[in-house]
Order: sequence, then structure tokens, then C-alpha cells
Amino acid sequence: MTNRMLHLVAISALGLGLQALDAQAAGSDWKRGRVYYQRVCTECHTAKAGGAIAPNGRTMAEWTAYLNADKHAKGKEPLKKYVSREYRASVKATNKAAEKYLEVPEDQLFEDIKAFMLKGAKDGDSPASCS
Amino acid sequence: MVKPPHAVVRCFAAIALLLAASSVCAEGDGASAKLLRSTSDHTKFKVLQQDFASGPEVTRACLTCHTEAAKQLRLTQHWRWEYLNPDGRRLGKQNVINNFCTSVASNYAYCTTCHIGYGWRDASFDFNVDENVDCLVCHDTTGNYRKAPGFAGQVVTKDTEFPPGSGNLVKGVKLRPIAQEVAKTSRDTCGACHFYGGGGDGVKHGDLDSSLASPDRDLDVHMDALGNNFTCATCHMTQGHQVPGSRYAPTAVDRGSARLRGKHYKTNPTTCQACHGQTPHKPAVAKLNDHTDRIACQTCHVPAYARGGVATKTSWDWSTAGMMTADRKPMVRKDAKGRVVYTAAKGTFGLAENVIPEYVWFNGKVTYTLLGDRVEKGPLPTRISHFEGSADDGASMIWPVKVFRGKQAYDPVNKTLAVLHMAGTDDTAFWANFNWEKAVAVGMASVGAPFSGTVDFVETESMWPITHMVAPAKKALGCADCHAARGRLDKVSGVYIPGRPGDHAAWLELIGAALVVLALAGAAIHGVARLLASRRRKG
Repeated sequence: MTNRMLHLVAISALGLGLQALDAQAAGSDWKRGRVYYQRVCTECHTAKAGGAIAPNGRTMAEWTAYLNADKHAKGKEPLKKYVSREYRASVKATNKAAEKYLEVPEDQLFEDIKAFMLKGAKDGDSPASCS
Repeated sequence: MVKPPHAVVRCFAAIALLLAASSVCAEGDGASAKLLRSTSDHTKFKVLQQDFASGPEVTRACLTCHTEAAKQLRLTQHWRWEYLNPDGRRLGKQNVINNFCTSVASNYAYCTTCHIGYGWRDASFDFNVDENVDCLVCHDTTGNYRKAPGFAGQVVTKDTEFPPGSGNLVKGVKLRPIAQEVAKTSRDTCGACHFYGGGGDGVKHGDLDSSLASPDRDLDVHMDALGNNFTCATCHMTQGHQVPGSRYAPTAVDRGSARLRGKHYKTNPTTCQACHGQTPHKPAVAKLNDHTDRIACQTCHVPAYARGGVATKTSWDWSTAGMMTADRKPMVRKDAKGRVVYTAAKGTFGLAENVIPEYVWFNGKVTYTLLGDRVEKGPLPTRISHFEGSADDGASMIWPVKVFRGKQAYDPVNKTLAVLHMAGTDDTAFWANFNWEKAVAVGMASVGAPFSGTVDFVETESMWPITHMVAPAKKALGCADCHAARGRLDKVSGVYIPGRPGDHAAWLELIGAALVVLALAGAAIHGVARLLASRRRKG
């Protein structure tokens, strides 16, 4: 294969890859986000952090700012740690949601959770409690 | 220009290909999953690429492709809210009076928030208009479609203050993105109404509430969001928009076998037996299969209802409604858990979670007390709806039920249940003026029923089948739950349950014990005789 052909293949493949990533971001699954929020985030918060946090407890702007800041436990660690595959793998033995969604790409899962939280926010399209 | 080394280019190409491949695979989790769910991408339909100002506009767009859908819908109970009982009486929400919010009549604009149509504001609603069918309420996938009370089932598309002057803003719903994402029904769409029957989350049924939108295995082994993930339609197998499994046409006993794929059946597909057959238990616990002819599966497999953290109403006393605070505001009381147990608008409620059902013989026939039926105030409550059946009719099984106990308005002179005009902003609506006589006068007039002018309250009971919230086998009832003193079936008559004190017959047990002793004695005597005879022969 010539260098020129290799360049073409590489550029096409990169384009395809980026396009696919875009498609993922656009196609978030709020129901999967809901399950992860309830079974992973809420379960842990209830057991270890003093209680559940309902999506309708904050506005969309507040949730967006919180999610973009990527800070958990008052900034001691990144929020995305708890969506990462490593984290899911570490709790999969005791958490069925982590086990089931183990192979879901981290960014995709984060978008799913974000979609659920924003639609369920106080001023969202469908304010949601923890249930 | 310096050419990159050949190896570097190859490496770069390989990485790029891998990235593309992994992304495509990853996409398979989102976009491809969506692709596999439907052959149609509704975002590509020109007719849906517009901003809709009302629900009927969306329906008109849907019907350009789904030409027969509205006609199918118009044949359903979901559309008519009416069911013709085998005894000839007209049932359905249009006709019955319950002991929750009591009746639809004269409260249409609020009750029809849960109608699968647009604009059922009064008795003149035209059931023959296709565009009045609401497609989105069942086919929304975004979770953002909602209809606010007071708008007769119309969807609000612009932010609207309601009631006018109240300062309460009803947020407008953007219909275009919802219409472009329609798909099959889900627990969320069915639950948007059925989880909230009776005026709130979990209020009416007890085995249906918002916890079933995303339940875990312990709550419902079939609907488990991380497991089987059944939708409602998985069991309520719908054809031509006809949804089987209505409580108005219950199947108390199903002697059929498990259904075969591809075979056509005329029987109810929602029964447990329709999938599990008559001998569902494994050989290790095969004795349990001896119970399936007399005990509904739900009796053991739904050990309690309201198990998902949402309390259900267990009682409702309308007679206490109307109390005001010292500053003349409608009173509201909450219990220790913050749950509302009294409002001036509705009276006093009982609430409970993890409720153990009551158990009755049920043969599929339900009797109702309808408007116009004679009601007597006495020591026993009036049966608003009652499950018929007995141990010896050959057609009954023991079912778990929720018995809902109420105290509601009736006309003590004409001796009929009352239709109340509750909702609305007019002076006769009970929730506006708290005047029973005015509210009942308008309610009764709306259905052409006589009213004496006097209102009293009568105790009532209604029965509701418990059939959802099916627990995993390990959390089902065990033998000792029934075969013991004060067991679950303690009050069920006409059946012999070993271990239940009431089922002991002293004389029969004496005979049995005597037979056992005689048998043992006979065996012992025989053994001794054989031994002695053997020794004698040897001697």
C-alpha cells in the first residue's frame, strides 16, 4: 500500500470514528441513565453519604454546572470516576447495574445519566424524584 | 515537504482504523440499538418536521402513515372508558362509582387528563373524531409528554397560568421532538396513567406505582430493569390496539397450558398460566404443583403489595373533608413520614407500604354497586365492587386482593350513592367551596339522577386484584405462611389446609392415631411371633 493510500485510509477512518462518537453523544439513553443513577449513584449515596439526591432538587443550570465541573466529594475526586469502567468493574460483584453496563463506553454512560438528570431537574421537562 | 516514514504512516492508519472500529462498536450500544428497535426513523418524516401547536395536529400527522390506527383505538375500552358486563350492566370509568375520587361525571376536565384522547370536557365529547385520539400519551419515549389536570386531556403547548389568576404555571410541552421519537409503549407510558390511578402515585391499585418504572428484581421479577425488563405489553399482548387483561374482564381461573409461539389463542394472554402452564414448579418442589388448581399463582408469588417504597391508600374517609385552619385556609395534615393523610379537599386517608393482601375465592365475576342501586346504611359496608366465588362452585381460585375501605357521600332519602362535582373553579365544585349539598346537586344533575338535597356518608368497600409486583421464587410465600395457625389463608373457608387449627377434626385425628398405634402393635406382635417361632425351630 502506498503512503498516499495509507493517508486516505487513515483520514477516512478518523472521520468515521469521530462521526460515530458524535452520534453517540446525540443518542443518549435517559432510561439507562435513570437505572445507573438509581442503582449506583443513589444506592451509594443512601448507604454512605447521608441520603439520596433527587434530580428535581436542582435546576438544569445547576446540574449542568455540576456535571461540567466534574468534581465529586467537594472536589476531592473527579465525578467521572464513578462512571468509569474501572469503577464499574470494581463494584460489579455487588452491583447489578455496574455489571450490566460494564461495557458501555464511559462518555456514553455519562451522557445517559446527564440526560436523565437534566430532564428530571426542577425546571426540566419531566421533574423526577428518586423513585 | 518531508515524507513521514512508512512505518509511522502504517501505525497511524492502524490506530485510526481501530478508533473507527471501536467507535462503530460503541455506537452499536446507542444508535445501532435504536436502529434495531424500529424500521422507521421518525425524525426523517417531513410531516413530523414542524412545530405542533396542539395534540390533534400531531395525531393528524401520525394518521398520514398509520391510516387505521385511530379507527382501531376508537374500538377500545381505553377510548370509550366503557365495558359491557356479561350481566348486561354498563361498567367502565364512564359508569362506575368508586370510593376514591368517586366518579368521572361532572369532573371530566380533570379525570380525562388520563384519557387517551383530546378534549373530553363533558358528556358531549365526540368519540368518532380520529384526530381526538392521543397517540403520544402511549408512544412517547422521551418521558417528557404530560397532560395537566383541568385541560380535558388536551396537551398544553405554551406556558399557561392555570387556574387563571392562581399564579400556578403549567409548562408548555414541545411536541415536535416527542413526535419524532415515538416508538412502542413502555412501562413509563402505561404508568403515566395506571401508576397514578385514584389521584396519585400508587393510590388505587397498590400493585401499580411509579416504582415499577424502573424496578429491581425483588420488586418484580418480570419487569426487573436489569433483567427481564418486561414492558406492560409483554404480558398485555396487544393486537390492533386492543389491550387484553382489563380488570373489568378478569380471568380468575386459567386451565390452559403455556402458549406456543405462532399459535393463535382466544384466551387471555396476561395470565401466569399463559406462559408458565399448570405445573410451573421444578421437580424438587413438585408438591407445589398440587396447589395450582385451587390457588392463584399471585397468592404465593405476590407476598405483599406497595413494596417499592411508594405507599398506597388503604382507606379514604370523605366525611371529614372541609376542615379549615384558624386562618380559614384548607387544612392539610401529614404523618411522621411527611405523607399527606388529610386534606380539606378530600378528607382522611390511610396509607401503607408492604401491605399483606386479603384472600378471597374468586371466579372472575365482579358485582358492582352503580348509580341508582339501592344503598342501605347499616352495620356492613356497601360493596362498591366485590369479587364473587366460593370453594364449591368449581370455578374459583383463592386470590390476593386489596380491599379498599371508604366512607363516601350518598343520598339517604333516595338511598343511592352520590355523584360529586368536585373539581373546577366554579362555585358548585366541592374543591372550591367545600359545600356538599351544592356539589352533589350539580353532580347528580349532570347524570340525570334524582337528589333529595340531603347528604350523608356511608361506609363502602371495593376490591382490587393483586397481580403485579411478582417476587422472585425465593421471596414467595413458604409452606408455613399458610399451613400454620393464623396463616395467610386463615379466613378462607371451604378448603382443608393441613396445619390450620380450624381444620382439625378431633375424632378423625383420634381414629388416625388409633390406626397408627394398631399398625405398630400388629407389626411388633408379628415380629415377636416370628422370632419366637424361629427359635423354637432351631431348638
